[in-house]
Amino acid sequence: MVRKIKKITYWLLTFLVMFITCLPGIWIFISAFRPNAEILSKPANWFPDNWTIHEFTQMFSIKGYVSVPAFDYLMNSVIISLTSTVIAITIGMMGGYAFARFNFKGKNTIFLGLMLARAVPGISLSLPLFILWAKLGLINTSFGVIIVYVAMNVPFTIWLTDGFFRQIPKEMSEVARTDGCTRLQAFWNVELPLAGPGIAAAGIFAFLLSWNEYALASVLTRTIASKTLPIGMMDYLSEFTINWAGMCAIAVVMIVPAVILTFIVQKHLVSGLTFGGVKG
Amino acid sequence: MAEVNLKNLTKKYGDVVAVQNMNLKIPHNEFLVLVGPSGCGKSTTLRMIAGLEEISGGEIYIGDELVNNKEPKDRNVSMVFQNYALYPHMTVEQNLGFSLKIAKVDKAEIEKKVTEAVSILGLDDLRKRKPSQLSGGQRQRVAMGRAIVRRPDAFLFDEPLSNLDAKLRTQMRTEIKKLHQKLKTTVIYVTHDQVEAMTLADRIIIMKEGFIEQIGSPIEVFNNPVNVFVATFIGSPPMNVIECDVITQNDNLFIKIDTDVLMPCPPSKKDKLLKSSKVFVGIRAEDIVPSENSTDLEKKGWNFEKSIELAEPLGTETQLFFKLNDKEIISRMYNPRVIQVGEKIKFEVDLAKIHFFDHETEKAI
Repeated sequence: MVRKIKKITYWLLTFLVMFITCLPGIWIFISAFRPNAEILSKPANWFPDNWTIHEFTQMFSIKGYVSVPAFDYLMNSVIISLTSTVIAITIGMMGGYAFARFNFKGKNTIFLGLMLARAVPGISLSLPLFILWAKLGLINTSFGVIIVYVAMNVPFTIWLTDGFFRQIPKEMSEVARTDGCTRLQAFWNVELPLAGPGIAAAGIFAFLLSWNEYALASVLTRTIASKTLPIGMMDYLSEFTINWAGMCAIAVVMIVPAVILTFIVQKHLVSGLTFGGVKG
Repeated sequence: MAEVNLKNLTKKYGDVVAVQNMNLKIPHNEFLVLVGPSGCGKSTTLRMIAGLEEISGGEIYIGDELVNNKEPKDRNVSMVFQNYALYPHMTVEQNLGFSLKIAKVDKAEIEKKVTEAVSILGLDDLRKRKPSQLSGGQRQRVAMGRAIVRRPDAFLFDEPLSNLDAKLRTQMRTEIKKLHQKLKTTVIYVTHDQVEAMTLADRIIIMKEGFIEQIGSPIEVFNNPVNVFVATFIGSPPMNVIECDVITQNDNLFIKIDTDVLMPCPPSKKDKLLKSSKVFVGIRAEDIVPSENSTDLEKKGWNFEKSIELAEPLGTETQLFFKLNDKEIISRMYNPRVIQVGEKIKFEVDLAKIHFFDHETEKAI
């Protein structure tokens, strides 16, 4: 009996914590599916009387935008986030491996430098970046944004993968090399699969950072040629009105892919994969 | 199927010398053991032969080929590591077949060789398991299997048994010996355990601080250590080494092994000891035994009396501890009986089996 009460208490507490964390998200979901008028009504209408997908149909009516060109923004977001993530983890992986396995001059200084680079607030770079990008003709291009996101993510992916490569005993690669592998083959066949969870984690973080980034993108993008979803959201902000329903709808478009992706990758985040290869 | 030849092999880390001018010829099919305390350069030597450590000077030949600049993969040697280093994401058979897969051997052939290795090592039931599902001994076996499958020119073992518990270690030691007899390949085996070295080796190399102290068969090294270091390193319990004065009384040479104990100098060493005033005397625990054990007193001749400070019964023998010249001495008492601390016991020493080492150089006289 006592056990049962304990169990119920745990569940209630868990539910409470989850409810508090998820409340804004839930509110966004609910608001995305009801008319703007209902959102603004006073006293507040907690639960929609009229469910509608009006905002979604409006933003995704591909030809001749009714409200906001959400599909183009989505595509920009996907292209920019995926490309910058792939580049960042590729570079991060190589960098992390180098920091974990090789000794070279100035190693600690470079590593510290990378970490300090992370400490600089992104927004402080917006003005110099804008001037530089304007001179280089990179304003309002996906490429321009991708470079910035890669630069932001690389120190982090290096730091994370470095930690994972360090956990893999160096004998793994040595034994592979005496087994007939080149250094690259040993990396590819043995160390990379073992560092998989770390690389997946680095990938998720890099992706989410790019996917959610607002400050720099708001400076560097102008039109549907490069605007990402967070910037596109501002399209619902006009001089005299705010379309809260539209904003919530586009927020849902942002949230869903990120959640799905995280959900898929988190399976690969299971650590402890290296257990058993060496004496534990 | 090859001999390994090291010429003036040197390894330096900055100013620190790990291995100094090592010259060594390891004939085909020899089981060679490198032994020494940690930091003596034995593992570094092995890793240089494997190609995992760059060499600072000298030459390494495997067969007739100079391999200095060859990648590990092109040297055709297999290495077994202390921590096994199995690939955790592969099953036992994938672990065993990995080297062949990399070499692009066809599947049927890989299967055949893996099956062969698996049956040699008694791993038949474990083929589909991952390393995490194996016990320490099984992992060790897989690690050896992975080395066998390639049929290398030489096996390199880097303290392969250090992570196993005592019982398993003895068992695997026997298996390694049997494996060597079956495969007939050159083995270079690194250990810090002198028992392993003695039991496995055709030839032992004792190393210290990057230098080879002595090379020889286990028995040779045990019976004729070239210096104090080798004498105390090989053998368990270690040889008793006592710093003594050499004195002359009535024209006879004596060694003062304790304040009130004078030991006659063996006639064969007389000439050599005449010039020295001090000497290190080495006596193995089995050569300094209570005389009550001995049936033939006259043969061993010389004895003295000492009171016991500590006795450790081991079943087949009891180890007796006492002091000579303030140095703790261990004596083996076969046919043990109950010993009282402080009890006076007569010890006898076989003078022919005593080792003498120069006081300055610590080299055998």
